Amino acid sequence: MTHDELEEAVPLYAAGALDRVERQALEAHLLSGCQSCRTALKDYQSVASLLPFGLSPTQAPRALKSKVMAARNPDPIAIDNLLKESGRPSLEPGEWMNHLFPPIAPARSLSLPWAAGVASVLLVSLAGYVFWTYSTRLSDDAMKIQQLEATVADQSTKIAMLKRDLSFRDRSLADLQIEMQRKANDATEIKSQLLDREVELETTREQLNAAMRGKVPQDEFAALLRRPDAKVVSLAASDVAKGASGVLLYNPVTQKVWLYSANLPECPTGTAYQLWAIDQRPVSVGTFHIDAGEMAHLLVKRLPEFEKARKFAVSLEPAGGRPQPTGPIYLAGQRPS
Amino acid sequence: MDTPTRRATSSIDPALLASIVKGDQQAFGQLYDHSSTLLYTLAFRILGNRDEAAELLQDVYLEVWRKVARYDIGRGTPIAWLITLTRSRAIDRLRARAVRGQNATLQLDEAVSSGVADLGPSPYETQADQELRIAVGNAITGLPPAQQQAIELAYYEGLSHVEIAARLNQPLGTVKTRIKLGMSKLRESLRRSWEQGDIG
Repeated sequence: MTHDELEEAVPLYAAGALDRVERQALEAHLLSGCQSCRTALKDYQSVASLLPFGLSPTQAPRALKSKVMAARNPDPIAIDNLLKESGRPSLEPGEWMNHLFPPIAPARSLSLPWAAGVASVLLVSLAGYVFWTYSTRLSDDAMKIQQLEATVADQSTKIAMLKRDLSFRDRSLADLQIEMQRKANDATEIKSQLLDREVELETTREQLNAAMRGKVPQDEFAALLRRPDAKVVSLAASDVAKGASGVLLYNPVTQKVWLYSANLPECPTGTAYQLWAIDQRPVSVGTFHIDAGEMAHLLVKRLPEFEKARKFAVSLEPAGGRPQPTGPIYLAGQRPS
Repeated sequence: MDTPTRRATSSIDPALLASIVKGDQQAFGQLYDHSSTLLYTLAFRILGNRDEAAELLQDVYLEVWRKVARYDIGRGTPIAWLITLTRSRAIDRLRARAVRGQNATLQLDEAVSSGVADLGPSPYETQADQELRIAVGNAITGLPPAQQQAIELAYYEGLSHVEIAARLNQPLGTVKTRIKLGMSKLRESLRRSWEQGDIG
């Protein structure tokens, strides 16, 4: 738990609304000496202890007082006896301060009759040297036992505090492990994304290579020209493209069309030529651009449906092409049957 | 028991406890007189049963008699110590009862209302106690009902915020916020009453 979480738990602690684990975590924090939380707790505990004052008073049965007075032991248990009582395994609710401020031993009660004291002094003085030695040893032993008992009580308190500290750390460790697992998952996710990107990059690279190969088609073009089954469609210029011409070649093995165009006008900015294969309706084959001063252009595209198309045309379209022809036709031709 | 010299429950003198440590039975009787109504009211509010509340109170006072040397003024006023002890023992008993499978609500021998006092005078309390009761009652009734309910379920029924959330079928965060806000408002409103001299 963070300090903010622990601080937020203080009013819940005072109202008695924390479960055991949370209570112990906060108690460990208070024992660690956080002054602001201690101050807040004192404040909220004062509030909590005022709550019963708001209840409608109900008188205790009259007979209760005499029962209580009659049932008492002869004497209250002295503080050092209380300390010797077997230690409980955990703090009682709201009693964490016992560990912060161990009760100070009050002066011993002077309840023994004075006369008995005098008598025992007399007895001791009469006992003589031998008895004095014996009693000294007894008193030494009693002191040692007392010291040992105090040490045991002290150690028990320390062990209880260490146990609480340890359980607090266990929880912190568990939190850290969860956080680490989360980070590991994130890392795996990122690694997987990286792999995806690498695959995409490789694909793009291959496409680029393919495109580059498309731009250097001499060998393939030479092979196409030697093929007896190559199909040729001649494209004639329309009125808007006087002097232009085009020829379309098709290789049935590679299923590629080669459009060789000459003297097409330069594409105005934001436009491109688009080649269409037309059967029932026009299907885009691809776009190309004619720059200023470019006299001829070669476009190579795969077109497995070549045989289906009856007509071919080139129109001027907005850059990137359109699904259907929208601009003027520059070249057009029919496939010989 | 209601002698003219009777001290307010809220201002029991720590010296009384010091006398009890020395075995002063008269002091113990005075402590009982000053605190029994409030502690019995609290025990009855938690347990909802007069006989059980009386039984519990007897145990509590015997524990006080035996362990009064544990009281340390640095930890709070004598009545705060007695209230903490009574509440803690009553909640223990409530839980033990729940473990035995008895339904707490069936044990009520009379209706225990929301725990907020009717604000009329009572013949058994001093004027200071009455003023305090009114100030605390006003502070509690001044809370939004949901915050009041969450604090009372925690304080008087010993439910953790998780148990309260389950009982009210509300998200845990909502219940935590209700208790936090409620306690904070109570603190502010009691502080104001204190500063205005309504209580003290």
